[in-house]
This record gives sequence, C-alpha cells and structure tokens, in this order.
Amino acid sequence: MTDQSIVTVRGVTRRFGGLVALDGIDLDVPRGIVQAIIGPNGSGKTTLLNALSGASHADSGSIRVDGEEIFRLKPHRIARLGLARTFQNIRIFGNLTVLENVKVASACNVRTSLFNVVASNARQKLTEADIEQRARHALELVGLAGRAGDLSMQLPYAQQRLLEIARALASDPKVMLLDEPAAGMNTTESMTLLVTIARLKAGGITILLVEHNVRLVMGISDRVAVLDFGRKIAEGTPAEVQRDAGVIEAYLGRRHRHA
Amino acid sequence: MKQTVAIALVAIAALAIPAVTQDGYIIQLLNIAILNAIVVLGLNFATGWTGQINFGQAAFYGLGAYATAIATKSGLPWIVTPVLSVAIVLAASLTLGLPTLRLRTYYLAMTTIGFGEIVRLIIVHWEPVTGGTSGLRAIPGISVFGVGPQGQIQHYYLLVVILALATLVAARIRRSALGRAMIATKDSEIAAEQSGVDTTRTKLLAFMIGAVYAGLAGCLYASSIRFVSPDSFSGVQAVLLMTMLIVGGMGSIAGSIVGALTLTILPEVLRFLGQWYLVLYGLGVIVVIVLLPGGLASMIAAFPLRRAGAP
Amino acid sequence: MGQLVVNGLALGSIYALVALGLLLIFNTVQIVNFAQGQLLMLGAFIGISGAVTHELPIGLAWALTIVAMAFVGIVFMLLVYFPLRGRPPFLVILTTIAMGIVLENLALIIWGPLPVSLPSPVHGAPLRFAGVVISMHQLVIFCTLAVILVLQFLLLTKTRFGILMQATAQDLHTARLVGIPINRTIAVAFALGAVLSGIAGLLVAPIFLAEPTMGGSLGLKGFVVSVIGGFGNLPGAVIGGMFLGLIETFGARYISSDFRDAYAFIVMIGFLTAWPRGLFGEKTSEKV
Repeated sequence: MTDQSIVTVRGVTRRFGGLVALDGIDLDVPRGIVQAIIGPNGSGKTTLLNALSGASHADSGSIRVDGEEIFRLKPHRIARLGLARTFQNIRIFGNLTVLENVKVASACNVRTSLFNVVASNARQKLTEADIEQRARHALELVGLAGRAGDLSMQLPYAQQRLLEIARALASDPKVMLLDEPAAGMNTTESMTLLVTIARLKAGGITILLVEHNVRLVMGISDRVAVLDFGRKIAEGTPAEVQRDAGVIEAYLGRRHRHA
Repeated sequence: MKQTVAIALVAIAALAIPAVTQDGYIIQLLNIAILNAIVVLGLNFATGWTGQINFGQAAFYGLGAYATAIATKSGLPWIVTPVLSVAIVLAASLTLGLPTLRLRTYYLAMTTIGFGEIVRLIIVHWEPVTGGTSGLRAIPGISVFGVGPQGQIQHYYLLVVILALATLVAARIRRSALGRAMIATKDSEIAAEQSGVDTTRTKLLAFMIGAVYAGLAGCLYASSIRFVSPDSFSGVQAVLLMTMLIVGGMGSIAGSIVGALTLTILPEVLRFLGQWYLVLYGLGVIVVIVLLPGGLASMIAAFPLRRAGAP
Repeated sequence: MGQLVVNGLALGSIYALVALGLLLIFNTVQIVNFAQGQLLMLGAFIGISGAVTHELPIGLAWALTIVAMAFVGIVFMLLVYFPLRGRPPFLVILTTIAMGIVLENLALIIWGPLPVSLPSPVHGAPLRFAGVVISMHQLVIFCTLAVILVLQFLLLTKTRFGILMQATAQDLHTARLVGIPINRTIAVAFALGAVLSGIAGLLVAPIFLAEPTMGGSLGLKGFVVSVIGGFGNLPGAVIGGMFLGLIETFGARYISSDFRDAYAFIVMIGFLTAWPRGLFGEKTSEKV
C-alpha cells in the first residue's frame, strides 16, 4: 500500500480547546493523481491541509510523504522534502517582483554561503542562474512569464493565484496542496486553472485539492475524500462520492438545518 | 544604465566635497553622518527587509566603539579591533536574537530596548574600564603597519570608500536568495516557511549581519572621532537610528543612506532651534509616518537601487 | 528585611499604576503606548507647577493635574491614534515613541532639566509596627492603588461605559456597526489611561525627584509589569507590579543599586523566554 501511496495519513487528530477539528483521519493518496478533499464549512479541510504542510501541527497521528515521516516537522523542512502548498487567502510576497516570488521557492533546496553572496563570485553567479532558470520555467508553466519583472502586489487577483501555484511549483515538489485555488475566480479563470492543474499532473506531481467549487472538483479529480465534522465520511471516485448517501446528507442536511 | 549614472554622480559629488570646504567641523560632521549611514544600512537588514523591529542597533554600535577604544587604549594594535568588534557584536546579537526573534512586535521592541538599556548601564557604571559618563578620550587612531589616515579629510575619504563597500555588500545580499528570503519573511512568514525558507534562521542572520555593520561602524567611530561617550549610543540614539531608516525609506538601501545623512546633518543645521529641535523632530517623524510611509526614497522614484538586481 | 518588602511593595504599586494605564489603552484599542512614562512625567510636573510654583493646596493641585491629564490623553489620542488607525504595530510603536520625545523635550523647555520635588498630599508621622516603618506617603500609595483598582473594576464591569469599552476592545468593527459610540469610548480610554499615569507621577515625585527625562525608564517598567502579568490583565498588572517592585528593591540592596534599572529588563527577558504566554496566559510569539 505504501509503495503506491505518496501521502499516507494515519489517525491525525487535532483539537482546539473543546472542539475536535480532526478526528482520526486516515488517507492514502496514490502517486500522480489529483485527490480532492471536500466537505461543508468547518469540516476540517483546511485544518488537515495545515497539518500536512506543517503550518499548524496536529496533536497526534502520522503523516508520511513518500515514505518519510513529516508529522510535526517545521514547514520549511516539509517543503524541502517535497510538499508545497498554496493558500486560501493569497499570501504572495507583495514587495518582491513576480520572478523574485518564485525564486524564493526555487532556492528551496539550494545551499549557499554568505561568503559567496558577499564575494559575488562565479559560484554565486552559477547558483543564481540555476535558481532563475527554474523560476522562469515555473512561470512559463502557469503562463505568467510575461509579467516576471512586475511587482507582485500589482498583479490582478486571478494572476496572483497563478503566481502562488508557480511559486509552489518552483520548489520542485512531489506533492502540491492547493487550498481553494478557484476561490474568487470567474468561469474563464477557472478554466485556465483546470488546464494548469492538468499540466501539473502531467508533470508527475500529485495534487491534493481542497475546493468548494464542486464542478471543478468533479471535473479534474481522480479521487475524492469527503470530510464532515473532522471525520472522513466517504471516499472514492467522483461519481461514487456524488451518489453516496452520507455525503448528500452532510451537504443537504446542513442546508436544511440552516434554512 | 540609469543606476550607473546615478551612482557615478553621487561618487563624484562625494569625492568633491573636501574640495569645496576644508572646515574641520563640517568634515567631522560628515564623517559621523557616514558612520551613521553604515549603521542604518545594517539596521535595514533586520528591520527594513525582515520586518523585525530593533532598538538594539545603537547598543551594537556602542559595543564596537567601546571595545575598540578600550583595546587600543590598553595598547593592542589597531588591526585587532575590527575583528574584536565583530566578535563581540556577533556574540551579543546571537545571545539576544535566539530567544527573542520569535516574539511579536511589541515584545521584540521591548526586549531590544531593554538590551540597549542594559548595555548603556554597563558602560555608565563600569567606570574604571569605560570612563563612565565622561567617556573615553584620546583614543588611538587607525594604524596598519604604522600607516593611517591623518586629519579629518583623509578619514573622510576612507569612510566614503567603506560606505561604498558596505552598500555594495548590502546590494549583493539583496540580489541573493538570502535577501529575497528576508523580504519574504516580512511579507508572509507562513508562505516563506512553506516555500522552504527557514524564517528563524533568516531573522537571526539579518539581525546578526546588521549588528556586524553597527559593530564595525563603532570601531571606525572610535578610531576616527577619537572620543566615545555613552550618550552617543543611548536609547534615544536607537530611536533616532530607527527614524533615519523610516524617514529615508524602510527597505531601501538608498533610503537608509539618505535618511542617515539627512538626519545627522539636520540637527546641526537647525542648531539655533535649541531644545525645540527635538520637539519638532518628534512631530516631524509622526508626520512622515502618517503621510509618507515610504519615506524619502519613495519620493525619489527614479532611484532603482531599491530593487537592485531585480529583472 | 521587612522594610525592604514594604518599600518594594510601595514602589511596585506605582509600577502597577503605570501598567494599569497601559492596560486601559491596550484593552480598548490594542495599542501599547510607549509614551506612557512621559505621561507620568507630565503628571508629576503639572502637579509641581500647581503645588510648588503656584503654591496651591496639594489637594487642588492633584485635582487640576487629573483634569489636565485627561485633556492630554485626548490630545494624545488625536495625534497618535486616529492618524494611525489600521497601520502595523511597528509604526504605532514609533509614533508613540516620537510623542514621548515631543513630551519630554517640551517638558525640558518648560521646566528645565533640574530635578524638582513635590510634597506628598498627606503629612504625618510614619506608622511603625512589627519592626517596619510605613511612611505616610507609602500609605497614600497603597490606598490610591486600592481605590483605583476598585474604581477600574467597577468601571469595566458595572457601568455601561465599561461594557462598551470591552465590546470595543473585542471587535472594533462590529462595535461600530452596532452603533456603539466607539470614538467616545476610545477617548475615555485614552483620557483615563493618561490620568492613571499622571497619578502615578504625583505619587513618584515625592519619593524620587521629578525630572523631564524620568519617563523613559518608568514607562519601560510599566511594560515589564505588563509582560509579567499579561497585557490587559488587571490582577496581573497588580501582582506583576508588586513582583517587580520587590525584585528591584531587593536587587538594589543585595546586588547593586547602580543597576537597579537593569533588573526590570533582565526579569522581562527572562519571562519572555521562559513563559512565552506570560504568567496569565497571553501568547507572545508569532501565530503560525
């Protein structure tokens, strides 16, 4: 099982005071697929994502990426081990240019010394050239190559989202966590996003997608996991999950309760 | 291209100044201004780029100055002092930085102020060694194999060169992964971490590099001004350094230098205001913060030094 | 030894008052006022102007100081709070520090640099029991602190205004939407905060002489108290204040009096390192 799964989650639990945000989540994500995680508001999707990326540690459980245990590691260590993510609320580096934003990530696993930086020697130039090349490549993949020199905070919203993806891509990840990448996008922009995700998958990256836009999810995902109240209530192909009674109850039931 | 022309013009202007005036007082003032510029350049790493408020920079400045003064007055050859100053400030900044850099802004401000106060108290009360409130006079000057600058004007040229080097190093750091990591840490610490940046290490590095700048400037201060006293490195000075950075333009290399030069020379020009100078200064800082958050550098939009090396 | 305790507690009460002023402002607008010490200094000097320069009865001088400080608090708010609403804490800190510089130098211009004394509001023979001496002034300090604590507690929990303040502190935006007169509430917070520090100044000046540069270290000690006790925490401010007062008094006696100011900072750095949550549970490090 672990040979085929690139992400293995076992018994991940997270409490906020009295509230159980995640209740013993198990998940196996096969290599190279697009795995969606959906669920009503408050079901624990972002909490799970945060636990995976190290942004906010779970209380207990185990998380393995490509066989390596990453539970409770600092986020930058997890990033260097091959797991990248985008954020629900865009968190680009506003004071850096588009290219510099991506370079931050493409320098992820590059070791450089202060001496080389200060001396600006041949080695430093080589290092920077390498970082730049990979950064530009990531920008091309999402279609932002033309705006490389622009100050990133001046980018329109949808392009900022793409920038986040390019940045995540630049760290050469095995797994990418996309946290509501389509939020705030119109239909055209969502289509571009779909194409981009497809390209990423074609490049061999496993995608974990948290998304509210159900049509987007069903269109691009290979597998879907459904969370409700911190528990996984269903799992399978998009078609299977859509028909699952528990899932329908979770979504519909919510709507009735609030009506 | 525009950048090179601007730099050339500045260089010519800087080198021409002693031809215009030979007044020892003015030249010494310029020397102090240049030294302050180096310190503020250092402050920019931690505060301007990495977003860590730091009221301890004046203390590092003072540590370098006093270490140099005490060492040379007790007979050590000058060549030791830069190394000594750097070693001391590295130790101090590491000790201060490790436990405090993870603190939130208000607490970081308080601990760095506290650090500055402790250093000042040590200087003031350790009289036999530091001369207490009177300070130390007649400090030996720069001397490498018996050779060293004589008179304020020679010191001026030396300091201009050193400032140029300090600027060059800062620009190189800005263009590198470390510089980008610093700014990323300030813009979004979480996203930076997620992109592989060890933000704790980045903050600490920025802090320590800044301390080194201040320590070396302190060493040069003691050796060229030849007199140190606790007043030059007090808590008020720490605030003034911070205001130089803000007025000049936080995050801007050119802004750091402009801010330092301007706000070192201004009080002398406005000396006739007496005590009112500081009152107006305080109000002026508030006005700048409210109306011109980017500082002077944001007004000089033609200066691309801020994004040196950006494609 | 018992005497040291009494002295330490008296000193600590003053520090607690500074922290209470900080607390009031922080609780309402989430700003840490780095000029709180200068407000204390102003209070002392206004009191001195009244009681010494104009030879008013001390009670009247106190009353005038309190009124004056309320005005100062509001001016402070107009210059600092409103222009900087929504700006990062970094800039707010710098602005309050700048105000502190303005106040300190105005004081130097108006009153000169020489230390001056202020008489205590109460005169009389000191109390003696159990081998310790409690001066009348120390008694005044304790009583003032007690009265203020009761008043502050009542204000915050029993009066309509106090509840408004807490609401404003919890969620400014919603408070405004709901129609709470937040500007008035904030004005009161600043006024009261200034008054508290002013009173602290009136209490300090009879013990240590007043001089315009006294604000810096006293303000910082107010922070230390807030760090120990937790920002925004009423009992924390009092306990923290007492703790600091005791440490400083004992330290000055047994270790070195030259460094008495340093003990506060060492304590603070120690607390921030060991108890990132403060004694009473507030987070002090970055939220990931």
